[in-house]
Amino acid sequence: MKINPQAFFNFCAAHPVLLRALAERGGEFSEAETLRLIRANPGAAEELPETAWRRLRELQILVPTEPGSESHFLAEPVARLLSYLFNEANPATPEMIRGYVLSLDTTCKRLARALDEEDITPVKLAFDEISQTLRRIHADLDETHHAILTEVARYKTERARVSVREKFRRIVHWMERYVEPMIKIIDADGPLRATFDETERLLGRAREEALFNDHPALARNLRFLRLIRDHALRVFTQCRKEIQPLYESLRRSSAIAEGAARALEKLQNEGLVRWGNEPLIGVCALRFQNVPGDAAIGHALRRVVEHPPEPPPVLELTSEEAAPGALLRRRWLDALPERAATELPIEDLLGWMVERHPDQDTAQILSGFSELIFHDNFHARFTGNAPRAYPTADGELEAAPIQLTSL
Amino acid sequence: MTSLPHLQPVFERLKRGYHLGPDDEPEYSALAARFDDYAAYFEAIGLRLIRHEREFFYFEPDNAETVPDTLPRIAVFSFILIDHAANQGRPIEDFIFSQNFLLTTLPHFTLDRYAALLRQVDVHDLKDIKNLLDHMKRIGWVKWLGEDEFRFLRPFHRVFSKCLELSASSSSRGDEAQTPEANQSLLTSAATKE
Repeated sequence: MKINPQAFFNFCAAHPVLLRALAERGGEFSEAETLRLIRANPGAAEELPETAWRRLRELQILVPTEPGSESHFLAEPVARLLSYLFNEANPATPEMIRGYVLSLDTTCKRLARALDEEDITPVKLAFDEISQTLRRIHADLDETHHAILTEVARYKTERARVSVREKFRRIVHWMERYVEPMIKIIDADGPLRATFDETERLLGRAREEALFNDHPALARNLRFLRLIRDHALRVFTQCRKEIQPLYESLRRSSAIAEGAARALEKLQNEGLVRWGNEPLIGVCALRFQNVPGDAAIGHALRRVVEHPPEPPPVLELTSEEAAPGALLRRRWLDALPERAATELPIEDLLGWMVERHPDQDTAQILSGFSELIFHDNFHARFTGNAPRAYPTADGELEAAPIQLTSL
Repeated sequence: MTSLPHLQPVFERLKRGYHLGPDDEPEYSALAARFDDYAAYFEAIGLRLIRHEREFFYFEPDNAETVPDTLPRIAVFSFILIDHAANQGRPIEDFIFSQNFLLTTLPHFTLDRYAALLRQVDVHDLKDIKNLLDHMKRIGWVKWLGEDEFRFLRPFHRVFSKCLELSASSSSRGDEAQTPEANQSLLTSAATKE
């Protein structure tokens, strides 16, 4: 749909503040969002916000994101016009510049063929195309330079609370997205220089072979070519110089902030006990309380010197005179079967034990009793008599009599 | 070697954990002028004198098994201040060193998160913060300018060094794919090409 230019510019003239607000916000607009912006930035003439909303769409200042969509965005030609009017630069991406270089390359090939064929018309067309491409490259490089300087200035003066790490990420984006790739394209070994050299050679050949008679235009193009070549490298080297100190400062601050944030995060999540010593900043603290003074050393020495002599301990190397109790008990138990065998059959074993060994205590009597009952050479059985008491050296036992015989 | 100037006051201060910076004359100048001599002298008695890259001096701390309570407090206090500075969007060192601070306007109790972190190291109110700052004064990190006003001294760079160390160690553990150091290498290579 064609737009009436007068109606378009009349609307723009009446709503410059609104247009600027739309351009600055960017992105997609819903009806509610647009109406809010219209109310916040009213035009010169009295009109309903709904009217302004309708006119924005009729004049194709806002266009639907897709056919039939409720969501709109600022039409690209309008956005470009507003950027131009408000002196707001948009950076050219390296891909755009690379596209220009490729376009120039193709044009140069056509120019070379036309020169070979001495065909004037394609030479003139190629010449015009080269001029146009060079102008675009120059404008885009300038705009990118301007955009980068604006961004750097914004970082330095920004009042809004944007964290250091966020700023750092943004500056890295600018470096990685625009400055470094652009320098790769335009430096001495890059594709721009090679294409420009070829273009210059072909323009020179066109002049020498008198195939293109507009010498002032030819000279202008050659000058422009050299200007852009030098200008481009200078512009982006300057950009890097502008950004580099900011980058360095933000890089260090970002790393410091990251270290502190990680330490605090660990403390918050794991507690002080598991925080460990890693985040601590050690400080020297010499402690002297364990170091002896001269007086203490002198006192210790005096105690050693004045200590009364004491005979060394004597080790008893001779054998013990009395046999240990355990050994005696063992020997008594070992001799018991032999002694009992001489008196078999024994009608009352426990009675025999306490009678023959009145000096043995109860535990020892029972040990001997068990030894004989379970001995391989003897057989034990209850006699069937009533239980009776057996006095021992330290007590008394009561049991049914048991007879012990030989097997 | 025993003719080293101001040897006793230098030793007396360093042994207590003090950091000698430009505010500590004449000891600082003496150390700066004959650092190697002082370092050799102290090394003979088992003490390592450190010259920080930002030009201040201190004794290397030993790895004591028991950590004084003040060290975690100082660390948490300092990290909170750095976190606050980072949120303001200003370069951290510029924020710390380019202004005087008022005890009552410190950010440490402005957020519940900060207060909770401080509680973990037994710092509950401004009085505790004041005690902490007094301790930092005793080790040469802070200078009181009035009852309530103070500024940080150059040796506070030890906190930044620690933060950089923590950041580097977490990066090396692969916590983040894209690190400042990685970006640095990219840009340094570009800069050297220029």
